[in-house]
Amino acid sequence: MVNELLFFMEVLVGGLLAGTMYSLVALGFVLIFKASATFNFSQGAMVFFSVLAFCGFMQDFNIPFVLAFILAALLMVVVGLCTERFVLRPLMNASEDTVLMATIGLGYVLEGLAQAAWGVEVRRLDLGIGDFPVPWIADNLKLFISALDITAGLVATIMIIGLFLLFKYTKIGLGLRAVADDAGAASSIGIPLKHIMLLVWSAAGVVALVAGCMWGARAGVQFALVDLALKALPVLIIGGFSSIPGAIIGGLIIGAVEKILEVYIGPFFGGAIEGWAPYVLAIFFLLYRPEGLFGEKIIRRV
Amino acid sequence: MSNNSANILDIKNIEVMYDSVILALHDVSLKVPKGKVVALLGANGAGKSTTLKAVSTMLASERGKVTKGSIDYDGTLIDKQNPSQMVGLGMVQVLEGRRCFGHLTVEENIISGAYSRKLSKGDINQELEKIYTYFIRLKERRKSQAAFTSGGEQQMIAVARAMMAKPKMLLLDEPTMGLAPQLVAEIFKIVKELNQKEGVSILLAEQNTNVALKNSDYGYIIETGRVMLDGTAQSLLNNDQVKELYLGISKKGRKNFRDVLKEESLTKKKIN
Repeated sequence: MVNELLFFMEVLVGGLLAGTMYSLVALGFVLIFKASATFNFSQGAMVFFSVLAFCGFMQDFNIPFVLAFILAALLMVVVGLCTERFVLRPLMNASEDTVLMATIGLGYVLEGLAQAAWGVEVRRLDLGIGDFPVPWIADNLKLFISALDITAGLVATIMIIGLFLLFKYTKIGLGLRAVADDAGAASSIGIPLKHIMLLVWSAAGVVALVAGCMWGARAGVQFALVDLALKALPVLIIGGFSSIPGAIIGGLIIGAVEKILEVYIGPFFGGAIEGWAPYVLAIFFLLYRPEGLFGEKIIRRV
Repeated sequence: MSNNSANILDIKNIEVMYDSVILALHDVSLKVPKGKVVALLGANGAGKSTTLKAVSTMLASERGKVTKGSIDYDGTLIDKQNPSQMVGLGMVQVLEGRRCFGHLTVEENIISGAYSRKLSKGDINQELEKIYTYFIRLKERRKSQAAFTSGGEQQMIAVARAMMAKPKMLLLDEPTMGLAPQLVAEIFKIVKELNQKEGVSILLAEQNTNVALKNSDYGYIIETGRVMLDGTAQSLLNNDQVKELYLGISKKGRKNFRDVLKEESLTKKKIN
């Protein structure tokens, strides 16, 4: 009995921590959704692009770890800058659907550029954090939890706190929330949309880089990261597209639920249900709570 | 960049097209003297909003373009500027339909108006207190989410937000739309105060002809994208045509709905 409970705890904690990896990816989507009301299909490509650049800097040019990370982050700011200038600004008055299509195209461009510059082979990313159970926790709590998972959990927590403070207490955060509510009204009182867009895309790029590092360290830096990022879709449906806490909680729920289902119900389906179980959960949410757990309800005065 | 001429805004014969095909304004000229309130009157679709947006350069975001004529604002020719540059020059538009940031609190909404200015936290609070002296009602509701405030309060938020940018000129697009008469009076009282105490020049688009003219110095009446009539507010209020068409007053005295119904039933009886 005790063993069963311990096993369940292990599955749950492992799932929750793995979920923070989804949360990290989902964060990037939320940032952009807040500002341009668009699902950014290129977020997966941004994850791939940024972490491949990071690996490229380290492995091809022998740039030290920290400097390479900073360079990759700067590169993502440049990507944000170019996106604002060459994609978003010309489409300023186009519909949200048009911008959505443009992000798909942007995704292909980024994927192509990344592979042209740094090659197509799978790269190993060593963060110096092992993806194996921490011995101390295994000995004392009898739980097998990976060090990488714990790191991802910490990083996600720090990022959410940072972003929360940025949005709630800074001037540019106020501008961003204003643009998210009504871009037209925001520009009528002199909030420059292009600065806000630039900030949001750069922030999303850096978030993508962090998420990419975590995933890259686990699964290798490879093209599959692009599709993996789409796992963020059910996370967002559950958490709410416009909510940062929602992205985190949604990730945790997806992580925990998919692991628990996989372990306890998986065998009846012949296993491997963690690939599609989150999407089933997402469908239930779409049916019964379409704004997600934390999404902003559409407020309408009657 | 200020000039010594008496007019803060001088629009000369502008023509505006949407999508390069839809002609919204044919020929509009108007002047706003410094420190005055000018009313722009007309029915739906007459071109009031278009005129205001041409001035504030918000037209571009709706694929509209000034194709002829010129707009001179405070010595600057308005041509390729964008809305945030216009705010920098001291011109702020309060858009039709209030357009508050629904998820922000009332106070955050108002503070967002100061975005274009470089102010310290203390300066902002000082400005905020000053704004609240005009909009007492908003101070009580400062912590509520803007979307949950009443229509009148939302209109006040929109005007207060614009005032935080410290404008020399305000463009108000139908500030009393859908408001109860008492609130209409309250809004106009505030607008008048802002004009007199802060010295803001105001160009005001309204359908509510009577109230608008009573609170303005000068008026323009536009129909289908053309200025049909203009004059001092007093002369327009006394103009027979204006009375008949816009104020619902005919020479025989005020006609109301009941009179119209009575007339109709009388004519019906005659026919029977």
